[in-house]
Amino acid sequence: FRFKDSLAEDLCGADLVISHAGAGSCLEALEKGKPLVVVTNETLMNNHQLELADQLRRDGHVLCCDCGTLVDTLQSMDLSTLKPFPPGQPEKFALFLDKVVGLQ
Amino acid sequence: TGGHTTEILRLLSCLSESYSPRHYIFADSDKMSEAKIRSFEQKRAETFSSSQFTLDRIPRSREVRQSWTSSVVTTLYSIFYSLPLIYKRKPDLILCNGPGTCVPVCISALLLGLLGVKRAIIVYVESICRVETLSLSGKILYYFSDYFIVQWPNLKEKYPKSIYLGRIV
Repeated sequence: FRFKDSLAEDLCGADLVISHAGAGSCLEALEKGKPLVVVTNETLMNNHQLELADQLRRDGHVLCCDCGTLVDTLQSMDLSTLKPFPPGQPEKFALFLDKVVGLQ
Repeated sequence: TGGHTTEILRLLSCLSESYSPRHYIFADSDKMSEAKIRSFEQKRAETFSSSQFTLDRIPRSREVRQSWTSSVVTTLYSIFYSLPLIYKRKPDLILCNGPGTCVPVCISALLLGLLGVKRAIIVYVESICRVETLSLSGKILYYFSDYFIVQWPNLKEKYPKSIYLGRIV
């Protein structure tokens, strides 16, 4: 398919996600607890896209590769090494903001 | 735009109804944000009986990789456009998270503050995508916001005036 409004359904049914390094794509897959392989393409990407993919890799949440090494990665990967990605905490922001505006 | 809207709606997700009415401002070229916002507000109205919000569009201040000189011109145009809008809404608090749209909005609010018309608190939350470097909006608003929040510790080190609360989206 070309474009869907939401990939949520497809993500839920997946055992493995292989994605580009877009933040939205990565975070959506991680939040659904899916093992994720991020394929970076430095010739196409904005520099900053690589920052998040790199950090997620360092933290052990994703596997990274580029187009050339994708096949090798898929053949040799050990998904059990991936660590679960804890959700963000907007409640912390709410608490902070309440103090700022004087609601607390 | 897109990812920014998703992030900002998550930031709003735990706010109490004291933060009302909510005025959403986004770029005229943005096709998807309106639907996301309406969906968010609709869901919110299920919990809080009255959900007051407005939607306004302003000209997009800058396209990705637009040149410096033309960016200044388009941003000035956006400021000219957003000034009467901010004057009309007179917000107490401005929350933004990085799209080019937020720069003219914040500059307008700062101008109105300087003129003694209305002083708004400006809270900037840098996107979760920004781990090592700030966005252009972030680099500008680091100096002009009242509270500047980053979501990764490396940025807190590089920008000491920033606030680090961990990942909040």
